[in-house]
Amino acid sequence: MNFKSSFLYIAKAVVFGLVMAAIFLTVTAYLNGGNFSSGFNNSTHRNDGLSFSTAVRRAAPAVVNIYSISIDKSRPINSGSLQELGSGVIMSKDGYIITNYHVVQQADEIIVALQDGRRFTSEVVGSDSETDLAVLKIEGDNLPLIPINLNHPALVGDVVLAIGNPYNIGQTITQGIISATGRSGLSSGYLDFLQTDAAINAGNSGGALVDTNGDLIGINTAAFTVNKQDGNNGISGISFAIPIKLAHSIMGKLIKNGRVIRGAIGFTGEAITPVIAQILNLPDLKGVAVTAIEPNGPAAKAQLKPRDVIIKYNNEIIPGTNLLMDRVAETKPGKQATLTILRNGKQQQLHVIVGEKKAAK
Amino acid sequence: MKTKISLLSAAILTASLALTPVVSQAALPHSVNGQSVPSLAPMLEKTTPAVVSVAVSGTQVSKQQVPEMFRYFFGPNAPQEQVQERPFRGLGSGVIIDAKKGYIVTNNHVINGADDIEVGLSDGREVKAKLIGADAESDIALLKIDAKNLTAIKQTDTDAIRVGDFAVAIGNPFGLGQTVTSGIVSALGRSGLGIEMLENFIQTDAAINSGNSGGALVNLNGELIGINTAIVAPTGGNVGIGFAIPANMVNNLVQQIIEHGEVRRGVLGVSGRDLDNELAKAFGLDSQHGAFVNEVVADSAADAAGIKAGDVIVAVNGKSIKSFQELRAKVGTMGAGAKVSFQLIRDGDKETVKATLGESDHVEKASGEVHPMLEGATLQDTDDGIKIIEVTSGSPAARSGLAKGDIITGINRKNIKDLKTLKSVLKGSEGAVALKIKRGKTALYLVLR
Repeated sequence: MNFKSSFLYIAKAVVFGLVMAAIFLTVTAYLNGGNFSSGFNNSTHRNDGLSFSTAVRRAAPAVVNIYSISIDKSRPINSGSLQELGSGVIMSKDGYIITNYHVVQQADEIIVALQDGRRFTSEVVGSDSETDLAVLKIEGDNLPLIPINLNHPALVGDVVLAIGNPYNIGQTITQGIISATGRSGLSSGYLDFLQTDAAINAGNSGGALVDTNGDLIGINTAAFTVNKQDGNNGISGISFAIPIKLAHSIMGKLIKNGRVIRGAIGFTGEAITPVIAQILNLPDLKGVAVTAIEPNGPAAKAQLKPRDVIIKYNNEIIPGTNLLMDRVAETKPGKQATLTILRNGKQQQLHVIVGEKKAAK
Repeated sequence: MKTKISLLSAAILTASLALTPVVSQAALPHSVNGQSVPSLAPMLEKTTPAVVSVAVSGTQVSKQQVPEMFRYFFGPNAPQEQVQERPFRGLGSGVIIDAKKGYIVTNNHVINGADDIEVGLSDGREVKAKLIGADAESDIALLKIDAKNLTAIKQTDTDAIRVGDFAVAIGNPFGLGQTVTSGIVSALGRSGLGIEMLENFIQTDAAINSGNSGGALVNLNGELIGINTAIVAPTGGNVGIGFAIPANMVNNLVQQIIEHGEVRRGVLGVSGRDLDNELAKAFGLDSQHGAFVNEVVADSAADAAGIKAGDVIVAVNGKSIKSFQELRAKVGTMGAGAKVSFQLIRDGDKETVKATLGESDHVEKASGEVHPMLEGATLQDTDDGIKIIEVTSGSPAARSGLAKGDIITGINRKNIKDLKTLKSVLKGSEGAVALKIKRGKTALYLVLR
């Protein structure tokens, strides 16, 4: 009796344990079968495993080759045409493609070549020289799309892949990491860009920078290089890409208006350094010191003066120049904006009618 | 009660056991074979001894024509050519593929013209190497050294490589000493670059520089996937675009060199072009990639296998191909007599044919390279001489007066028997040449200008 009950006790535990073990094995096998990876993608059919091929398969078909042909009008007819080479990324089912502005800048004819061999002639929907972005459109069925994740910001150290057509040798995938990140705003400059050590060369311009899932995180641009001279700078390992969030918002504006409308109030300013703070007798280093006013501009009309310090824009505290430039650029021309300034140690408000920023050529 | 507790604890235990591997896997995505910190060092310790440096020296002979203006000074009897002999040295890399026999693969351009080849092993030994054979068109050479305790590189099937796989280049850039660089496979089947006659490169962004030539491109298991050969270098150095000859192609060539001392190029007997969008549309094809067959040479391997003009070859031995160049490179490195299966599309249907590749010198489309006026003629070695088995109408060969069935038996006043001699004689000749031709029962001379 005693023996029987203890046997039962052990047997029950063993059976239960075996059942749970079976469930455990099934569940883990199922979970491992699913896609877990965030850094590297483990392949399921090869045991040596580490490869970016899954990301490549997701993203690469949507990266197109772009050939833009411009006829040199200063030369006699039939003396040949100039050809610019670049890459582009298919962003939507209706055929919108993002590329670099400089790739299609003077194009008389643009040819978009897909990796499956299809070729389309294309028109420029809109372009923005300041961010070096342009949007093209093609008409085609079953276009491959790039996966995008706008809510996943790129971080320094993330592994990235650049996809493009360098020197027209054909589609090429290069790998590196994010070396530095910038802000995502409407103003332009190196600060906004993602920096990567993935090899990006002439012809990669307008191509995709993707993460290890194949999601688009930036638009590569070979035009922005350090110490660029004749296109050959001899430096490799420092390349730039326009972050997808910025590119995506610019694309929306270009599709809507054909251009990016930026606000401007006609002044130049600089960040507050400790020296400036001492000269102007400021409590802290927040704000933007006005250095020059464009004559007859919106700022001049609103009586803004050099040595004024802008501390708030529409009641938002301005920590530095970048945010102010962004906020002004984002304001619709014609709207009234309120500047809170410090003048001679006293706080006061100015009302300014925002004008439109002229496109920099 | 006790049972319940034990059941409960067993359940908790198994549940926690079941959860732990999932949690740890999600937390440590950057792991290599279970190691949390990725490093290539364990693989490289085993692999790098198989990569050697190759130092060559020799004498470069360069001929220079005496410029017109100087000939006046030297008079009519002065030599027309100036021959300069300059000693040269070169550095490259090589890969040990057979430790027992001491076989080392390198690039042809590393050892080309060298009188003396010395191999530097990673343990510091320096050994004289013998050239077993080389192939200029694919840029592969095989060396042999006499040394013990060698390490050979591991082999793998390079047809299984995918774009995005990690790749590690091992070599001797700038003669610095052994250097390892890492990257990924950027593209496959790269051709049309004009670097070699036969191109089917693996492209990588691992840094490859001068001196890396002939070195190894390996995967994360340390298995050879390619021989590093060339780069795109607008600035003179690496910009992240390097090219390696796939190991499968190398092995085919090495096998032929070991067997025959040379590469006996396999010939299929087709000419054609890349399948492009327009062509695919015109023939109503879904596929956009492949090799379009324009023409099949009569009595060639392709002819025997039943390949016809208008077919699109989409795969070789089950591995899909993108371009005609890729087909050319694959077939050209397989060796005469190789049995190859071709998947092709004919009238919209998929078919598979098997062909036994012919030997290169027997049937050849004479290109402008042999002689400009021979372009358009298909030549074949026969017992009587070089038979013209085909002349494209309107081609330079046709305009020269060559006709189908003609047999070339001599050139200028020299008798020749085969294509090899014809080529070498034509190469050295300048200006007009007279071909001695047998046409039916008559013999005649044709002058090629």
